[in-house]
Amino acid sequence: MTAIAVSPAFDHFAAIVGAKNVVGSPAELRTYECDGLLGYRVRPELVVLPGTTEEVAACVVLARELGMPVVPRGAGTGLSGGALPSEGCVVIGLARMKKILEVDLANRVARVQPGVINLDITRALQADGWYYAPDPSSQSVCTIGGNVAENSGGAHCLKYGFTVNHVLGLTLVTPDGAVVALGSQAGEPDVLGYDLTGVVVGSEGMTGIVTEVLVRILRSPQRTQTLFATFPSTDEAGDAVSRIIGAGIVPAAIEMCDALAIEAIVAATDVDWPLDVGALLLMDADGVEEEVDEVAARARTHVEAAGALEIRAPKDDAERLLAWKGRKAAFAAMGRISPNYYVQDGVIPRKEIGKVLREIAALGARAGLRVANVFHAGDGNLHPLVLYDGRIPGQEHAAEEVGGEILRVCLRYGGSVTGEHGVGHDKACYLGEQFSPDDLATMQMIRTTFDPERRFNPEKMFPTPRLCGDKPGAYVPHATETAGEAARG
Amino acid sequence: MTATAVSIAGVTPREIVTPRSIDELAAIVRELHDARKAFAFVGGGTALDLGNSPRALDVAVRTSALDAIVDYAPEDQTITVEAGATLADLDRVLARHGQMLPLDVADRERSTIGGVVATNRYGRRRQRYGTAKDLIVGVSIVRPDGVRARGGGKVVKNVAGFDLPKLAVGALGTLGAIATVTFRLYPIPEAARAVVLRFGREAALGAALHEMIVRRLEPESVALYDYRALVVTFAGTQRGTDAQARTLVDEIAPAHGVEAAPLSELERESYEQRERAVRRDGSWRFRVIAPPAEPVATAANAVPATPLAVPVAYPLLGIALHAHSEETLAAPPDAAPDWPVHDLRETVADRTHNRGHVVFDAIPAAARGLVDPWGPTPPSFALMRTLKQNFDPHGLCNPGRFIGGL
Ligand SMILES: Cc1cc2nc3c(=O)[nH]c(=O)nc-3n(C[C@H](O)[C@H](O)[C@H](O)COP(=O)(O)OP(=O)(O)OC[C@H]3O[C@@H](n4cnc5c(N)ncnc54)[C@H](O)[C@@H]3O)c2cc1C
Repeated sequence: MTAIAVSPAFDHFAAIVGAKNVVGSPAELRTYECDGLLGYRVRPELVVLPGTTEEVAACVVLARELGMPVVPRGAGTGLSGGALPSEGCVVIGLARMKKILEVDLANRVARVQPGVINLDITRALQADGWYYAPDPSSQSVCTIGGNVAENSGGAHCLKYGFTVNHVLGLTLVTPDGAVVALGSQAGEPDVLGYDLTGVVVGSEGMTGIVTEVLVRILRSPQRTQTLFATFPSTDEAGDAVSRIIGAGIVPAAIEMCDALAIEAIVAATDVDWPLDVGALLLMDADGVEEEVDEVAARARTHVEAAGALEIRAPKDDAERLLAWKGRKAAFAAMGRISPNYYVQDGVIPRKEIGKVLREIAALGARAGLRVANVFHAGDGNLHPLVLYDGRIPGQEHAAEEVGGEILRVCLRYGGSVTGEHGVGHDKACYLGEQFSPDDLATMQMIRTTFDPERRFNPEKMFPTPRLCGDKPGAYVPHATETAGEAARG
Repeated sequence: MTATAVSIAGVTPREIVTPRSIDELAAIVRELHDARKAFAFVGGGTALDLGNSPRALDVAVRTSALDAIVDYAPEDQTITVEAGATLADLDRVLARHGQMLPLDVADRERSTIGGVVATNRYGRRRQRYGTAKDLIVGVSIVRPDGVRARGGGKVVKNVAGFDLPKLAVGALGTLGAIATVTFRLYPIPEAARAVVLRFGREAALGAALHEMIVRRLEPESVALYDYRALVVTFAGTQRGTDAQARTLVDEIAPAHGVEAAPLSELERESYEQRERAVRRDGSWRFRVIAPPAEPVATAANAVPATPLAVPVAYPLLGIALHAHSEETLAAPPDAAPDWPVHDLRETVADRTHNRGHVVFDAIPAAARGLVDPWGPTPPSFALMRTLKQNFDPHGLCNPGRFIGGL
C-alpha cells in the first residue's frame, strides 16, 4: 500500500487497522468511488478495512471524533448507490471479515461475518445437504452484510422469503461505537422487545455496521423441477404467471425474460433458447418429490392454457443449471446488445405484469430507447433494463428519465419503487413520491434511534433538495463490470 | 362514550372511546396527546393480561368499529384490513377464494387483526408460515402524537424505506395504534394429513425429529402435547401429504421404536382443543422460548408438574406453552414474592446457557406487580428505549406495559 497518506486522518485509522488496511491514495481510492450504479462517483476521503468487530468499533468512534461521515461497504455490487461515498467520508469496507464462524445444524443456524460472500454459505453446507435460501443473481460476488443492508431478494424468494426472513440476529456497531447484539443469539425463535433486527435489515447502512449475522439455514428440498416455457409475447407470459399464482400454486421461482433479454442471454451464454419468441418463463417447483411432480404438472396446464408456444423440462441437472445460469447472467449479457444500460427495480401487483410491460415499452419508444425485461415475475418485481449509448449526447439522461417514469408507473399501479435493490442514492427522490412527508418523518424517527447525528450513509434514501437536483456524471466502466459474473449482470 | 368495562393488565381506564373511522381515531389520539392524557388500544380484549400494568391509563381506545376490509386482491393474494376486523371476519372473506391468513390464533371471533399483530400471536403452523412478521407487507399507524403514517405497501415484495411494519409487530401498541394492515395470503392447501407419534423416551423424540428433517419432509406443523404425543401435520397436494405421512408412520417411527398412527380430522381437532386451552385457561400462562435444540427438555424439567392444561411444545421452533392454576404455582409460605417465576427463569436460563427466556402471558391478580411478565431486558434495550422515546416522548401511549417498563 501507499505510504503517501493524503488524508490527515490516515495515520489515525492506520493506528487501529494497520497502514496496509487503509486506502488513501487517489489512484487506489478510485475503486471505491461508486458501487454497481455507475453513473455516480464520489471519491471518499479514506477507505478502512477492519478485520474484527473491535476494529470496526474503534474506527466508528474515531470517525465520530473526526466528524467524518461513514459509508459502509461490502462488495460494492449494489445497484442503487447505497455504497456511494459521501464527500469527506470514510468508507468502512467489510471485505476482510469473511469467516463463517459457526454452523449449528441442531439449531439450523450459521453465524457469519459480514464480508462472507452469499454463495459461500451454501458452498460450505451443501455437502451435508443444507443451504442458505436468499439467492440474489449476484450471489457469487455480493456479501451477506450488503444483503442485510439491502434486504436482498432473489429468484427463489418467491417461496422462501427475503433476507429479512432468514436473518435471526445481528451484531451491530452503532454510530456511537457501541457493539450491540440484536435479535436471536443462538437460534431462539423470539426475543423480547421491538424487532430491531427486522429494522436493521433493509436499513441501507444507515443504522450502523453489521459485523456478525446469524442466518437461518435450510435443508435442501427432495426434488426440484424446472419448467421452461416460451410465449408469443409478454402478455401471455404474464397471464401464465397470474394463472399459476391464482390457482394457489406456490412455485419456488417464476422468472420472466422478454425478447430482448433472451437475445442478449443467448448471445452471452450457452443456452439454446429460441430467438423468435416474445417472452419466456423459467419456473422451479421444489419440495417433497410426489408434491413437486404434481405441482409441476399443474403449472404446465396453466402455462398451456395461457398460450405457451413451447414447454420444456430440462433433461438433467446440467441443463437445469445452465438455464438458471443464463437467467442469472442476464444483466451482464446486456453488454452484447447495448453499449450501456440502466437497471431499474420496481414492483407492481403481479396480476398487472402484461399491462405494465406494455406501458414501459411505450415509454421507451417515446424516448427512442429499447427496454429489455428480465425479472422476478412471481413477485411482480420488475427489472426493466433501459438500453442506451453513453456516447450519444443526451441518451444517458434520457435513459434515467425513462427509468424514473417506470417507477411512476409502478406507483400508479399501487406498487413500490424498489423490490430488492434499495433506495440508496438513486431513488431517494422517488421515495417522496411513494410516501408522504409524515411517513418519511416517521422513518426518520427510526433512523435517528440508531444515528441521531445522521452521519451514517448520510445522503441516502431520504429525499433532500440537494440530492434531488443532482445529475449523473459521465459513464465510466467500473471494476464490478469486468469481474466475471458480477459484470453488471 | 363508555362501553363495557375493560381492565388492561389490571388497570381500569377512566373512559373508553370507540372511534368510528381512522380519521376519528387519529383525531382522538391527537386530542389525548395534546391534553397529555395516557391511553392504550383495545382490540378484542383477548390479550389484555399480557405485559406490565400500564403506569397510567386515562382512556382506552377500542378499535372494534374499525373493521372494514379496505382492499382484497385475491389474484394477488394480498389483503388490506382495518385493525378492528377479527380473524373470523377475515377467514370468511378469504375462504370464498380458497385463501387464508395462516396465523392459527385461538378465539378467532374475538381476536382482532390489530391485536394479533401487536402481540405477535402465532400457533402451530408457524413452522411453515412464520408469524405476522413474515406475513405483514404494509401497515398504517396513528402515532402517539395523532399523526398518521404508513410503511411498507400493498405488494408482496418491497424494500422502500425503513420497515415500519416489522416494528409494529409485537410492539404491544406502545408505538401507536395500528390502523390498517396489509398481509400476503396463502392458498388453503387442498389436502392435509396428521400423524401422531407416542414417546416414552426423550431421546427417541429428538432422533425422530432429526430424521424428519434429514429425510427432507416438510411438515406444516409439529406439536408435542404433554411431552408425550407428537402431532405432525402435512398440508399440500393429496399425493404429497400421503407420501409424507407414510414415510413418517412406516419408516421413521419404526426405526426409532416409536408407535405412530395416522390421525383422523376429529382426533386432530381434539389436540387442537388442548392447544386452545393452554392459550386460554389458567391464571398463570407462560411460554418458554429457546434455541430449538433445547427447550422441550428444558421446559419439561423446569416446570412444576400438574399443569392445568396439557402443555404444548413446538420442538422444531423452540417454544413450549404452559398453563397453570393459581394454586399449582402458589408460593410456599416462606418463598420470595416472585416465586416460582424466579425459579423457573433461573432454571431455563441455566439449562439453555442463557439463550432461553420465559414470557408470562397471564399472571393472577395477586401476583401482579410482584412478577415481571417479561423478564430481563435484552442487550439492545437502550436502543429500544430511544425508539420509544422518539415515538412517544411524553410517555402517553400504553406507558410501562412493555418490556423493561417501556
Ligand atoms: C449482476 C448483479 C445482479 C444482482 N442481482 C440482485 C438480485 O437478484 N437481488 C438483489 O436483491 N440484488 C441484486 N443485486 C444488487 C446487489 O448485489 C445487492 O444489493 C447486494 O446485497 C449488495 O451486496 P454488496 O456486498 O455488494 O453490498 P454493497 O453494494 O457494498 O453495499 C450495499 C449497501 O449495504 C451497506 N452495507 C454493506 N455492508 C454493510 C455492513 N456490514 N453493515 C452495514 N451496512 C452495510 C452499504 O452501505 C450499502 O448501503 C445485483 C447486483 C448485480 C451487480
